[in-house]
Amino acid sequence: MTRDNSSTSKTANTLSFIADRFPLEKMNLEHMLAHKEVPVHKMSWGYYTGGMTMFFFMIQIITGLFLLFYYQPTVSDANLSVEYITKYVSVGGLIRNMHAWSASGMILFAVVHLITAFAMKSFEKPRELTWIMGVLLLIITFTFGFTGYLLPWNQIAVNATKVGLQSVEDIGQYLPGMLHEVPRILRETFQGEASVGQSTLGRFYALHVVLLPLALAGLLGIHLLQVQVHGMSQGVDEKPKKQERFFPVFLFKDLTLWGFLFFILFTLSLCIPFESFLPFPLLAPYDAMGATPPGIKPEWYFFFVYYPLELLPFWVILLASGLIGAVLILTPWIFKGSSRKTLTFIATAVSLYLLIMTLFGEQIYHLLKH
Amino acid sequence: MNISFSRTSQKLIAVTPVLIWLFAMPQTQAYPQFQEFSEKNSGRNVNCAMCHLNGDGPTGDGKGQIGGLTKEELDSLMRARSALAPGTQVDSPILNKFGNEIIKDIGKRKLLELRQNPQDLAKALPAQSDLDQDGISDGQEYMDGTDPLNPEHGDPLKLLLANLNKYRLHVILTFIAVMTLNWGIMQFLKGLEILTRPRQLPKA
Repeated sequence: MTRDNSSTSKTANTLSFIADRFPLEKMNLEHMLAHKEVPVHKMSWGYYTGGMTMFFFMIQIITGLFLLFYYQPTVSDANLSVEYITKYVSVGGLIRNMHAWSASGMILFAVVHLITAFAMKSFEKPRELTWIMGVLLLIITFTFGFTGYLLPWNQIAVNATKVGLQSVEDIGQYLPGMLHEVPRILRETFQGEASVGQSTLGRFYALHVVLLPLALAGLLGIHLLQVQVHGMSQGVDEKPKKQERFFPVFLFKDLTLWGFLFFILFTLSLCIPFESFLPFPLLAPYDAMGATPPGIKPEWYFFFVYYPLELLPFWVILLASGLIGAVLILTPWIFKGSSRKTLTFIATAVSLYLLIMTLFGEQIYHLLKH
Repeated sequence: MNISFSRTSQKLIAVTPVLIWLFAMPQTQAYPQFQEFSEKNSGRNVNCAMCHLNGDGPTGDGKGQIGGLTKEELDSLMRARSALAPGTQVDSPILNKFGNEIIKDIGKRKLLELRQNPQDLAKALPAQSDLDQDGISDGQEYMDGTDPLNPEHGDPLKLLLANLNKYRLHVILTFIAVMTLNWGIMQFLKGLEILTRPRQLPKA
């Protein structure tokens, strides 16, 4: 009898939790558009970071679709098709650069969005699921970067992917019991053959252009629905004195910002080919028989974990990554009682770390290694 | 005592030192001094593909390497190697367009001298020479450790300035288009807001 009561109570709690997060009575245009208001205060800029991330995602979809017309996901033709797009397809170079620049923009703003949402305590009840969806979206965004990096099939693409997949397998040695084998199975599943080759390219391509976009679109849909249903979080400790209407005031400001972003993205893509940041030997087509050229490293957005990985024992990074992942997912409960001042302090410290490792990671590595 | 030589003998005597020099040279003639300087000066990784057809250099049996050359290609190689003075159009099968251009512009003799001062190679090349037409001269690309034959590759800041100048009309037109579109969307949203605003009926 007691067990039945307990079970009924748990079910009721779960249903109540879901009903609070997805209130059906608020799921209408009237509530989500006409009545929605956005607080105005010193941290208001944080409300725009999510929209900026979504803008870059839309650019990714549009430019990615154009690239799909010409890209060939085979080891013999991948690099040639990329060269063909860049050299011979009308505005192909521009589209490809926009894809590469906006990928970086999307990751940059996704990280900024997560940090500002943390500092503004936007994970408070009833926004726990919005936060968790956001964390999952960030992981998918990084996976987009990892899978897309292989597609040009040049020296840096293949060699960096080899290093990345090897790191996945290395995790196994630190896991207990049956989990020990999971990373190896994962690596084999993604790699598809003994070494990075055609199967890997095919799988990464499928992930990059079908599975990840579908997963991202689904999660983004729920994330946006939650944002519209629950409205913007208060963002600051004291109740904001001013509010502005979401439609049309905030929406217009958001779209204006997107216009400026598009102009900056267009100008950058037109004037600075993204690959000009890499040494040219790394852009040569991958040669399976050749030696690994020096200077192989991941994209800039992985520097925060790559350079520590080069300097510290693998298990330290693994432990830290596991802890950070758990803290990120459990943030709404761990930091439930924290003040925004404390959260801002943590967010600033994390931002500084990310900034320093991204900009000066290589110098720090050389300084400490030699 | 008068010693006289026939015209053929005179030619033979003149050519002999060159032939001895040519055949005494090792078969492969890569000059790593230039690669080393470019890497050191730019801080970027550079390989033989800056001047050679093959990124691993001229040694070996691969594409653009001496071991894999046909008889006709070997003849072209010998002709390129004998282009001691500047001005000779060469087509060495182990060099890329930039490598051949260097031989044409400064000659093999000068190139060999520059091995002692590889930093002077950029100055020795014509200042206006820009094979990939990316707005950065070939000599500057050598100094920057970037690919002089790839318009998509160069020092990012220099490319930005060169391309801003090249595409200024595109940039201005895009700015106008974005602003116009933005103004249009603003008017559309305003209109939509007015249309959807709840209206109060006049009291009877």
